[in-house]
Amino acid sequence: MKILRRFCLWAGISFLGLLLAVVPSLARADYSWNFPRPVTPIARDTLEIHNHFMIVITVLFLVVFGIMVYSMLKHRKSVGHQPARFTGPTGTVQWLWALVPFAILLFIDYILMGIPAYHAVLDMEDTRTKADMVLKVTGMQWKWQYEYPESGIKYLSTTSTPRDQITNKEAKGEHYLLEVDNPVVLPVGKKVRVLLTSTDVIHTWWVPQFGVKRDAIPGFLRETWLKIEEPGIYRGQCAELCGKDHGFMPVVVHAVPENEYLAWVDQKKTQLAAAAVGSDKTWSKDELLAAGKDIYAKQCAACHQPEGQGLAPVFPALAGSKIVTGPLLSAEGKLLKDSHVDRVLNGKEGTAMQAFKNTLTDAELAAVITFERNSFGNKKGDLIQPAQIKSLR
Amino acid sequence: MIAAEQKSPEQVDSPDYSPAELEQRRATSRRLAWVLGVTALGIYLAGFLYYRP
Amino acid sequence: MSTAPSIDHGTSHGHHVEPYQGGVLRWLTTTNHKDIGTMYMTFALIMFFVGGAMILAVRAELFQPGLQLMQPEFFNQLIGVHALVMIFAALMPAATGFANWQIPLMIGAPDMALPRINNWGFWLLPPAALLLTLPFILALFGIGDGAVNTGWTLYAPLSVQGGMGVDFAIFSIHILGVSSILGSINIIVTIFNLRAPGMTMMKLPLFAWGWLITAFLLIATIPVLAGAVTMLLTDRHFGTQFFNAAGGGDPILFQHLFWFFGHPEVYILLLPIWGLIPHVVSTFSRKPIYGYKAQVYSFIAIGVLSVIVWAHHFFTAGLPVPALLYFMYSTMFISLPLAVLFFCWVATMWRGAMSFETPMLFAQGFIVLFGMAGLTGLVLADVAADAQYHHSYFVVAHFHYALFAGGIMGVMTGVYYWLPKWTGHMFSETLGKWHFWLTVVSFNLTFMPQFFLGLAGMPRRIPDYALQFVEFNAISTVGAFILGFSQLIFAYNVWKCVKGGTKATDKVWEGTEGLEWNLSSPPPHHSWEVQPVIK
Repeated sequence: MKILRRFCLWAGISFLGLLLAVVPSLARADYSWNFPRPVTPIARDTLEIHNHFMIVITVLFLVVFGIMVYSMLKHRKSVGHQPARFTGPTGTVQWLWALVPFAILLFIDYILMGIPAYHAVLDMEDTRTKADMVLKVTGMQWKWQYEYPESGIKYLSTTSTPRDQITNKEAKGEHYLLEVDNPVVLPVGKKVRVLLTSTDVIHTWWVPQFGVKRDAIPGFLRETWLKIEEPGIYRGQCAELCGKDHGFMPVVVHAVPENEYLAWVDQKKTQLAAAAVGSDKTWSKDELLAAGKDIYAKQCAACHQPEGQGLAPVFPALAGSKIVTGPLLSAEGKLLKDSHVDRVLNGKEGTAMQAFKNTLTDAELAAVITFERNSFGNKKGDLIQPAQIKSLR
Repeated sequence: MIAAEQKSPEQVDSPDYSPAELEQRRATSRRLAWVLGVTALGIYLAGFLYYRP
Repeated sequence: MSTAPSIDHGTSHGHHVEPYQGGVLRWLTTTNHKDIGTMYMTFALIMFFVGGAMILAVRAELFQPGLQLMQPEFFNQLIGVHALVMIFAALMPAATGFANWQIPLMIGAPDMALPRINNWGFWLLPPAALLLTLPFILALFGIGDGAVNTGWTLYAPLSVQGGMGVDFAIFSIHILGVSSILGSINIIVTIFNLRAPGMTMMKLPLFAWGWLITAFLLIATIPVLAGAVTMLLTDRHFGTQFFNAAGGGDPILFQHLFWFFGHPEVYILLLPIWGLIPHVVSTFSRKPIYGYKAQVYSFIAIGVLSVIVWAHHFFTAGLPVPALLYFMYSTMFISLPLAVLFFCWVATMWRGAMSFETPMLFAQGFIVLFGMAGLTGLVLADVAADAQYHHSYFVVAHFHYALFAGGIMGVMTGVYYWLPKWTGHMFSETLGKWHFWLTVVSFNLTFMPQFFLGLAGMPRRIPDYALQFVEFNAISTVGAFILGFSQLIFAYNVWKCVKGGTKATDKVWEGTEGLEWNLSSPPPHHSWEVQPVIK
């Protein structure tokens, strides 16, 4: 029916027109339809490249699809169209029709998109030029460790979303799964060279608003850089499957004016020093147990479970464990191989049990070891002092 | 392309393959099959022979 | 619109020879390419539903934030096994099933060149599938901690750490690899040696060309995958340090080896489809295939290029700048031969006389949706932008447009196209159309939101997510369930067609060209016992 056909054609054209009108607004960085608002030069560059590319491929899609739709409407048996027999281009015009799209695609690939891409890559990989400071990021199962080598600060950053929110017993907070106990703090307007590594498996550090994503690979040092242009709180996540809590190791960065940053550095140094001081004094059993309980919940419960029951067969139970209820140290007070202390300090090769001596202080190690030996039904009764841990390092 | 150029197949005039030709074909097939199989195995084993300098 | 009854009378040759034994033994020992093709297709269909069930469980968990149905450990197993099943136990066997059924018929050969190897190639598959899924069941009895939980990419050192599920997956992959190699050898030998007299290489049907390139790619790259997983096995159990920096190795070595196979693998999955689409489009446009030679050269070009672009799968791993630039530009180059293919598909339709039976619907759906996959692939090639896309849902959406809209819908195109030839019955066109429209709409409902989830910052392979990702995840899950259940229509339609239906003519569809349409529907158990001569 001629009327129906014409209607379809006009409907199709209007729909295409509508899409074309909408495309530019899609290109604006509206949160749910595009990248989150960029706050670094790389992120802005990336967003621009992405938007250009999106427009290009949308146009390509609409043109080709438009031709297809036209053909489906016009060249069909039911309207009586007779099939042609050509199998290739004949004559100059048809050769042009065949080769010009090819040339356009070459131009799009290597000139229109290819040249900006080249510059973007070189810029993104230039981590050293005029870097103002270094941040070292270490990925671990399942947390991040941040180190500011020039300031002598090192600390762990673990997810702080309560377990009850995850198991749907409590309503979810605003920053569900994107909140940590100790965020990264960085100065605005300074080029930060980020070094990355890992202690166990490959993790990936990603903050979308920075446009930065780099793998953290065990045994190697990778680099990237960022220069945050606006103060604010920026959130990201681990972006490489790293085991069971891959979805639960967020990244949170507070970008602040430089003077606030320097103040924070001092404050953090004091805080860490205070925690480390604990290793010289003598702790009471109660103090060790209280601190140990806290550390256990944050560092150990993910695998060994809140009541120490473990998750057979991968994560051994601590309750009634031979190792945990075994001897603390050798008769001479030295480290016993494969003992409880050895496990906690040095981890177990080939498993997810990491060497916590690298991430916990003497006081924290002493506290959690003491806690484990005196909880979950274990009644060893003994305790270990931070000073002893220090001597075993 | 086949649709444009090919006519319906002629059965009448085509003779059966002679036993000698059949044997030739089988031999060629076997040989090619072994070459491809050994190539695949070779690629697999080559990985174990190469060491980092 | 309906399939016009054919006016040619097919020349069915040879009397109908019954297979010499019946029952189970027939299927276990058959060397007949049609039987083996049928077994491959049946196996693929079953595994498609197995893999689909797994991912519906995943999508159910992802319907809302929070952990409702499963622990992260189990979630990680489901996503990895879903991928391995869909790639190795559904798509590849389906493509091999097509090859077995169609290549001898299309080139005028009495059977595949190596019939016994053909049988072994198939029967390796059920044990391999069992190995892959067995750890799930063992875990229920407290043995081991479940199936492979590293994702199908098996990256070290996570995979070195993993439980026995990884070992099961490694052995399964070895067996699947051997099956693919045997099949590839058979296909190459058949195409080179058993073409009917007069069928030169440049008269070979495009489907055969597609599979020829695929077979060479498989022979070149499956051994590399096998090597990589063997090295993983020895790292896990025999003290080697290939992927352990502390021992002098490098985790990235695994990524290089895996993706050296992994990238050609996606073209292995797609080339057979690209080979069959032109046949379908030509038939339902009643017009000869446009640009046969161009498409052949494009297949070859894509095959060659596919082997030299692998590192675009790990741009964020810290490659040196020259490598990043090289892999970016070489990856983009593949868009050119791919564009040639699209051009030829559309040019085949152009000024034809189209009708839109189910196979043509699926072919058109394929062209449009696979086109979106290709375009988003171009975007992913940009190294700088990839920093935002990598390991996010943008990639998940891209490869599902490529492998579901491209691979699976392509398989369905072929099944709807050839099923009447294989069974001798027409399938229900009504059910076919319902299947098509439900699939296309629900597919887009499932995966289009995932592009935006990726742009918004949602990583892959997480069982729980932050609150800004809630709406699109919910939509995606709804779409996924509709998509999954719609496939039951397909299974029912196929089963019904096998059992009976309107008798199919030799030509089946009005515009068919090619040797196989000169045989009866179904063809005799032994066809082309006397080879036709091609003029």
